[in-house]
Amino acid sequence: MHGNTGTIIGVDLSEGRVDKINPPEEWYLCYVGGSGLAAKYFWERGDLEADPLSPEAMLLFMNGPFAGLKLSGASRSSVGGRSPLTGHWGDSSCGGYFAPELRYAGYDGIVITGRADKPSLILIEDERASIEDASDFWGLGIGETNRGLKERYGKNHRTLVIGPAGENLVKYAAILNEGHHAFGRAGFGAVMGSKNLKGIVVRATRKEMAIAHPERFAELRGDLNLRIKDALASSVMRENGTAANLEGGAFSGDVPIRNFTSNFWEEMGEALAGSTLTEKYLTRRWQCAYCTVRCKRVVEVPDGPFAIPEGPGPEYETIVSFGAMIGSMDLAAACKAGRLCNDFGMDTISAGGTIAWAMEAFERGDLTPENTGGVELRWGDMATVVEIVLPAIALRKGKLGELLSEGSIASARRIGKGSLAYTCHSKGLEAPMHDPRGGGHGLALTYAMSPRGACHVADPMLFIEMGACYYPEIGLEYELEPKTDENKPESAVISIALGAIENSACFCQFADREVTIPDWVELFNTVAGYGWDADEMMRTGRRIFHLKRLINYRFGLTAEDDDLTPRMLEPARDGEPEGIEINFSGMKAKFYELMGMDPEKGIALPETLQQHGMTGESSRVW
Amino acid sequence: MEYWKDETEPITAFLKLFEEAKKDEELSSGLKKVNQLIWFDYTEDGPNCSFHIDCRGGKIESGAGKPSETPDLIMSLSADDAHRSWSNKLNPVMAITRRKIRVKGSATGLLKLAPKLKKVATIYEGVLRDLGWQDKILK
Repeated sequence: MHGNTGTIIGVDLSEGRVDKINPPEEWYLCYVGGSGLAAKYFWERGDLEADPLSPEAMLLFMNGPFAGLKLSGASRSSVGGRSPLTGHWGDSSCGGYFAPELRYAGYDGIVITGRADKPSLILIEDERASIEDASDFWGLGIGETNRGLKERYGKNHRTLVIGPAGENLVKYAAILNEGHHAFGRAGFGAVMGSKNLKGIVVRATRKEMAIAHPERFAELRGDLNLRIKDALASSVMRENGTAANLEGGAFSGDVPIRNFTSNFWEEMGEALAGSTLTEKYLTRRWQCAYCTVRCKRVVEVPDGPFAIPEGPGPEYETIVSFGAMIGSMDLAAACKAGRLCNDFGMDTISAGGTIAWAMEAFERGDLTPENTGGVELRWGDMATVVEIVLPAIALRKGKLGELLSEGSIASARRIGKGSLAYTCHSKGLEAPMHDPRGGGHGLALTYAMSPRGACHVADPMLFIEMGACYYPEIGLEYELEPKTDENKPESAVISIALGAIENSACFCQFADREVTIPDWVELFNTVAGYGWDADEMMRTGRRIFHLKRLINYRFGLTAEDDDLTPRMLEPARDGEPEGIEINFSGMKAKFYELMGMDPEKGIALPETLQQHGMTGESSRVW
Repeated sequence: MEYWKDETEPITAFLKLFEEAKKDEELSSGLKKVNQLIWFDYTEDGPNCSFHIDCRGGKIESGAGKPSETPDLIMSLSADDAHRSWSNKLNPVMAITRRKIRVKGSATGLLKLAPKLKKVATIYEGVLRDLGWQDKILK
């Protein structure tokens, strides 16, 4: 094989076994890698009845075919399985340095089942893979664990680690690479914790991989790296990080404020902007392996109540989650909260979303001091968030910690009083920091259709509505107006297929904006030798989307679950989107029609599955 | 050109726009923060179809043509698209993506002004009225 190696490591922690597995080559061609291949593997060999935190649950780390290429944006990988937060299919993507190292060691992924009888880690050094004792790391934060692992095994060993939140089964616990890059969403840190798996360490001696057509790829690589580096978006993000355009978002109504109750807060835009972070706290810029965009931040808050030493800095989602979303425009506090989440190993989006819901509930009197163990939750009170709330969640400490560690939806179900109506999520996954009422109505549709739940990186709809990309070769030429439903379902069907390809190839959505459809096809053909044209690539993208939907259907989800909450669909109360209704039901119906899906079951019709070569899959649900 | 009879018209309008924008405290302060020498290059519509603004060092100065010093930022587009842009009828992100606007240099500062385009458009409409060019106002 080219690109992919064809070999996956299988680990049964209960049995203490490590095997090398060669999935059928057809799976790679039909599901690419990353979250697509993880979904296929899970569908074929996973236990769909297993509780996500049980030993039987399957946890899958999967590279795409491009991991290891010296190409901007290509060093990501996916984790997938049944999410403990949502109860259905979940996946999450992470940049950094793990994916190339795993590829160079000779593997496409790691599939883990079972539960170790003591804290353990998986050590992969070239062809050798073993399960090692990690008892002395249990209970430590991610930073300390990462440093300790490097001291033990070597500074060039790459790490994936959970923190106390994962150990304590916080439903939105994250997994971090090198202490900086996160598999944030859907709670797979808790799955690792439930398996007594503290980390995975990988080291490869030779930095090589097999490429189908090296000369053609070298030419493409040179061109793409240059274009990505010189792109305006790259230079802006290099200078000011992923929050570079936060001010623009604040004016358009894209930035959610106080749990999606407002779409306009003028002073907040500049206070939290990437340029402000650069001026006040940036010490260095950082990057994923081989990437020239360099959007990562290293920051220091030298003094004040939220002082932190030099270390990983927040990106856009973290800044808004611990800023506007909870009524704060204190950038130092957002840096501190982000750093704490990194060290505890928690998803900043779900943490911020859950705290925002709790603050609103407390302000309304739906959540009382009796529920919170006496802690007062007030909009913008970052001292309480940093000193009390985040540690309580990560350590499941007290009533407040026990409640909020389950996420906003479970918390709302527990306290009742109509508080579910002001949760902000789809399918149980807290919404990211882009409000579809201001950011674009198409985003409302793709949030709802995303198999893992509300997600801004499941597909490029956010960028498409913004005007940052268009794809004439596959019929996506619309000049979209964000705050309408015009041509949104038509755009969404293309966007979700392309998104499935991006997330299965494990390509960064920022670098990706410079990659055209002909580039994509050439990448797959020169690296992996797939022999595709654009139509086949897009058909593959749709196939991956449909498979994840079939998995969710087996978990009991239907079209009714393709929804947003009342809070997210009510007309905005202020700002540019004030008063504008989202035609959600109209867009949803049209989307199902265009995709050939059943509007009640929410899955592809048998003939649609047949068109995508999924007759075997079809027979398991129809 | 769809909106202009010759290359002098757009430059007359745009220079007057910046003179008026300077009088607005918010825009003036925003421009000063950009702190760059910017060349708005519309020379695809004629060799003299361009102007520049210099907002370095706390001042805001504008003039016709290419600046004598090397600009920090060059925005190249057609005079018609510039008219659409100042009228807030052109999505700048989309225009850059589709190469209607070509950017050379750091656009970070200018990006911060993008949210103010609505206000700029209001001033621009007034400028067009003052010049007796109501027919050029885009609705």
